[in-house]
Amino acid sequence: MVNHMVQQDVLDRVFASLADPQRRRILVRLGEGPATIGELAEPVGMSLTGMKKHVQVLESAGLVATEKVGRSRQCRLQAAPLDEAMAWISFYQRLWARKLDGLDAYFTLERGTEGHQS
Amino acid sequence: MTVDLHLTRQLPASPDEVFDAYTDAEKQKIWFSILDEQPGIVEIEVDLRVGGRQTAVWGPDRDTLFRETQTFLEIDRPHRLVTESTGSGPDGMTMTTRIEITFEAVGDGTLMTVVQSGFPVPEVRDFFAGEVWVGALDRIEAYLVRGADQPVR
Repeated sequence: MVNHMVQQDVLDRVFASLADPQRRRILVRLGEGPATIGELAEPVGMSLTGMKKHVQVLESAGLVATEKVGRSRQCRLQAAPLDEAMAWISFYQRLWARKLDGLDAYFTLERGTEGHQS
Repeated sequence: MTVDLHLTRQLPASPDEVFDAYTDAEKQKIWFSILDEQPGIVEIEVDLRVGGRQTAVWGPDRDTLFRETQTFLEIDRPHRLVTESTGSGPDGMTMTTRIEITFEAVGDGTLMTVVQSGFPVPEVRDFFAGEVWVGALDRIEAYLVRGADQPVR
């Protein structure tokens, strides 16, 4: 069984890590395929140390996985935490669909039995 | 920074009838599961007063239960209802949001407007809106379509 405090913590880290536009750009770049810290840093004119910090934040949120390849560190996108974040919105969208459809059916049925036997 | 869910529905009954059906425990039990294909678990308890709570527990079986606990913040029958909602799924994850519902007489029915706010995900939404993660949007759509399909069958 999953501990919900741990889960909430993961969500908080996902939201916090996505609050930074630079980190979102990193995810966009990694969406095209894996890249090293150097390959991520160079096009945006950032230092390796600065990029490493951003990647570490994304890694702690579980959005990015890194692996040492030779002398560099390869970064790869991980989709699961984002799925969890979006699952909340869809949870409530489904709940509202259930509620509003249910109410609609309830009154429609009530009207039907009031007006004519059907 | 948060994102809101905004929904409206025209219902064929007066605001009084809709407000009461929406808030009465026994009526809720009827409409909450009225479209279920198979009987599952639906438990609803309501203490309709400011500061009071409403708890709904539902799911196909005891091992797969969803729960929504709402605390009533404002009750203005039959016009407006404001609650704080905490939802939780079978995996134990929880999230708290604010729900504001208005019931407005339109024609011979009621326009019910729901605004649920407090989802801390604007960055996520913007991120997805940027066509970066098209697959995820497709998945959400699939969820919604599945949700809408269920009552029809």
